[in-house]
Amino acid sequence: MDAAESFRLSWRAIRSHKLRSALTVLGVVIGVGAVITFVTLGASLQADILGQVGGERTPNVYVWAGPEGQNGGPGAGAQPVFTERDLDELRALSGVSAVVPRGIVPTAAVSSGGDTVAQRQVIATSPASFDSASFAAGRPFRQGEREVVLNERAARLFETQAVVGDEVTLRLASGESVGAEVVGLLNASAGGGPFAGLDSQPLVFVPTDPFYGTTIESPETGETQRVYPTVTVIAEDFGAVAGAKTDVRAYLDDRSDAAALVPDDYAFSVRTDQDLVDQIEELLSTLTDFVTGIAVISLIVGSIGIANMMLVSVTERTREIGIMKAVGAQKRDVLQLFLLEAVMLGVFGAVAGVPVGILGAYAAAEYVGLSLVFPLEWFAIAVGVGLLVGVVAGLYPAWNAARTDPIDALRYE
Amino acid sequence: MAASHSDSAPDVGPDREDAVSLRDVRKTYYLGEPVHALDGVTLSIPRGSYTAVMGPSGSGKSTLLNLIGCLDTASEGEVFVNGTEVSELSDRDRTRVRGDEIGFVFQTFNLMPKLTAAENVALPLVFQGVSRSDRRDRAEAVLAEVGLGDRTDHRPNELSGGQRQRVAIARALVTDPAIILADEPTGNLDQETGEQIMGLFQRLHDEGHTVLMVTHERPIAEHAERVIHVLDGTIERVEEIESPRRVETDV
Ligand SMILES: Nc1ncnc2c1ncn2[C@@H]1O[C@H](COP(=O)(O)OP(=O)(O)O)[C@@H](O)[C@H]1O
Ligand SMILES: [Mg+2]
Repeated sequence: MDAAESFRLSWRAIRSHKLRSALTVLGVVIGVGAVITFVTLGASLQADILGQVGGERTPNVYVWAGPEGQNGGPGAGAQPVFTERDLDELRALSGVSAVVPRGIVPTAAVSSGGDTVAQRQVIATSPASFDSASFAAGRPFRQGEREVVLNERAARLFETQAVVGDEVTLRLASGESVGAEVVGLLNASAGGGPFAGLDSQPLVFVPTDPFYGTTIESPETGETQRVYPTVTVIAEDFGAVAGAKTDVRAYLDDRSDAAALVPDDYAFSVRTDQDLVDQIEELLSTLTDFVTGIAVISLIVGSIGIANMMLVSVTERTREIGIMKAVGAQKRDVLQLFLLEAVMLGVFGAVAGVPVGILGAYAAAEYVGLSLVFPLEWFAIAVGVGLLVGVVAGLYPAWNAARTDPIDALRYE
Repeated sequence: MAASHSDSAPDVGPDREDAVSLRDVRKTYYLGEPVHALDGVTLSIPRGSYTAVMGPSGSGKSTLLNLIGCLDTASEGEVFVNGTEVSELSDRDRTRVRGDEIGFVFQTFNLMPKLTAAENVALPLVFQGVSRSDRRDRAEAVLAEVGLGDRTDHRPNELSGGQRQRVAIARALVTDPAIILADEPTGNLDQETGEQIMGLFQRLHDEGHTVLMVTHERPIAEHAERVIHVLDGTIERVEEIESPRRVETDV
């Protein structure tokens, strides 16, 4: 039997019970649509987050001490253990161009131009943490000066947006108030670095001297020194990152003050941008796999729908199968006819499922404010899956039809 | 799908003139104890003959027809269709012989409900790989032959019983088979329509077709040249009809 006639006969069979066929196809549409939606969303989320994190890859090594076995983001649960001496020692390592400490100064509020807003903390760091390209106006603060740098969100906290040259007052948690001058404003795209997290919050940056007051006695020298929870070691170039990372870890484990200060069940984390990207990627793909797995289950349910409908269809058409066999249809012809019917249902479902899935992804992306990235190969895969679903679901019913005994079939009522 | 013509007929071959011949054929069903539906049947159907098979219900008439029609296989013995021994054939080859050499007409018509008359008639050609336009042409020609030239696009449920049976007969004719097998073709028709169908068979015979027809009505059987009486799976006797009944209607 030629393919064109097979198509014609199978198509006629599908059309002869439109509603049943449509509902069966709907099952596949939902399955394929769900898979496409979740895969697209997963890919878009991944691209979005990696774009934020990995967009400007830096030759940085992030160092902190956190609870052992904790898998949080950079700086999670960090304890202040890195002393000034540790920073000097790290600076002396080969391949290191700068070491930027970062500490938290607890505050109650910040005022500017008579307007006071609550602010839980400001970030104490060194001028080296700023990249000149990230300034919308002004410059980095200088060590030892009462100067602050605000990010865009922080500048907009106040009724009249803060500008360079404004005076701000920091109300420290201790109750003390300290005045400072705004010397720089960061632009919108400048984040707070990995330690600040991914969402943009109002950030106020101050120099460690004179604002940062957390100190400890260095176990090595006995001097009282500032101590920081997180440190960024900036390598000279990307080639030096791996070496710097190894040396930093070796120093920390071996002769650092931090090693002596760190609580027993805490461990050092030494991560590069690449490590962070890898970690986020892994987390996201696990999430995407999980959700896609659920979608695949709905696809399986869809194919069970096809198998079920085909079994009913074969039983209903037993007599027709008998007639076809009596006039010379081979087993192969009957198999082909029913398999084709199942495959057509599967492919229709898949083809209709793709736009439904895209629409679903589009709606969801619109809702969460994500820009869509279409994993194009998945659309080809979806159609392939439709074919596969049709074959798998149709094989047993079609085989049943093919081996029907014509005498029994003709007697069938 | 070319027909496998038996140019190299088997050595023990039957008379080459026979459309069908059976040698000591048995068909046994095992339902607890064996049931001999056919119990040693030997017969031959000459080419161009018109034969009726009569017998009480359960005597094995349909079984006989199904064996000849390659729908079923004999438990023992040999069945030759157009010179080919069919009981040893593979399922595939037997199906091919069925499609090429046999034309079936059933009591219940057995038309495909969703296909038009022309499509029903063309169905056997579909499985022979005949092209669409040829199928259409041949189906229309045969439908015209059975007097349904103006009903080609009607579906079975838009046709009367007699018309449906004519579509079935056209379908049986379309492959130009060696033999036309009819199992109680008038069983579901009123007497007058039955007569018209008998008129059609009579014409086919006159045109040289081989017809083997099962019936349990004596008047119907008398249209044939000879009647094979079957009883309990054996041939009781073969009766030659001196002057077969003629149908006077014109179709
Ligand atoms: N598939 C079958 N299984 C068991 N017995 C069968 C089967 N087909 C036919 N028979 C038996 O074979 C005998 C002949 O049946 P059949 O050829 O249909 O008779 P007829 O057509 O003359 O009425 C009957 O006794 C019937 O019960
Ligand atoms: Mg019978």
